[in-house]
Amino acid sequence: MNSPDDAGGAEEMEAELRALGEALRVPEPPPADVARAVRARLEGPERAGSLKPRRPERPGRRRTWRWGAAGVAAVVALLVGLTPQGQAAVGAVLRFAGIEAHIGEEPPPPPRGVPSPLPGERRVTLDEARRLVRLPFAVPAALGETRDVRVSDGGRVVSLFWPGVRLDAYDGVLTPMWRKDLGAPFPEEVVVGTAEGWWISGPHQVTYLPGDGSTRTLPRAAAPTLIWRRGGVAYRLEGPAELDRARRVAESLR
Amino acid sequence: MAGDLAAYEVLVTRYSAVAHRTAALLGAGDEAEDVVQEAFVRAFRYLSGFRRDAAFKPWLLRIVANLTHDLTRSRGRRNDLVLKIGVEPETRVPDDPEGVAIAGDRRARLLEAVRALPERERQAVVCRYFLQLSEAETAEVLGWPLGSVKSRTFRGLARLRKEVGHELS
Repeated sequence: MNSPDDAGGAEEMEAELRALGEALRVPEPPPADVARAVRARLEGPERAGSLKPRRPERPGRRRTWRWGAAGVAAVVALLVGLTPQGQAAVGAVLRFAGIEAHIGEEPPPPPRGVPSPLPGERRVTLDEARRLVRLPFAVPAALGETRDVRVSDGGRVVSLFWPGVRLDAYDGVLTPMWRKDLGAPFPEEVVVGTAEGWWISGPHQVTYLPGDGSTRTLPRAAAPTLIWRRGGVAYRLEGPAELDRARRVAESLR
Repeated sequence: MAGDLAAYEVLVTRYSAVAHRTAALLGAGDEAEDVVQEAFVRAFRYLSGFRRDAAFKPWLLRIVANLTHDLTRSRGRRNDLVLKIGVEPETRVPDDPEGVAIAGDRRARLLEAVRALPERERQAVVCRYFLQLSEAETAEVLGWPLGSVKSRTFRGLARLRKEVGHELS
């Protein structure tokens, strides 16, 4: 039995509370509907700032969203005409496993500047990473041992490197952690083991979205990438040029 | 204006999930959707006064927390933490139904104990662990000094450990 001011006991309670928080289900409308409703209000005439129900109009479909599925299920939101400044015209936004992919007709312009490491990135051993990162992440057996393991952004991401291959493991349920900008072709929905995944076959841009909500990281050019979830952890595998090879690596997670 | 609105839609979609979670966990109940919509509308109107180098997320969540606070005060009752524990995580051991049941029971008791915490300790615990915000973000979202975040979190944790005990499965 621990005494109440025993630090180890406090850490266990903290971990239990985090796990409980992750198991709590909160009703949450599809983000694209919220964006539409907010935009409609901003474009409409100015009204008194009091809190009044002004829900998006969706006859016969109110309050029927699935609980807790957000961030796990892929949601394809068509935001036609959405043109962020300095970006190519975006035709669709795909959200899956902590990734927010903006897909336009034209590929994005090549990123400028030197790619920066992730915030707070530091090199550790695999054992240290397992202690520092709360995610129960797995390691692919197919690639052999890695000697380059990095933990970033206060343990929010763990990255494993092999020559020409990079694997990022992260949570990504609550907020997107990576933004990807790409042109055609549209990402391909694939099966990884028994799970759903997405395959981005061509080069594209990737930007890390830091946990504090700032947008200070720069986009960098990314190689073909496979994205999937397994055991409550999201993975992005970057490097293998063919889907079959990427899938073999992904399915060898131990 | 149209370009700003289009860019803003990206932010709304990105932070919609965490904003709903914040409103619901801080006690907005059925009105979480209204709180979130209103927060995004206000955030856009105040955006000109927003420092570009500051983080958008805690700033938005502070608006959500303030609106939730106003709402629960206007209702004249304690802001209920009405929540359901969802599916068990996939990592459970399938051939251990008894262990799963005990873990589930402990979770329900822990949630009950969080609900029963004094309001400020509960807010600190919700922000730090349920929303997984850092101490600095929690301070910004709740509008407290950093020291208050630390002490209220500490007191809340101690109370929870006393209530629920520390026997772990």
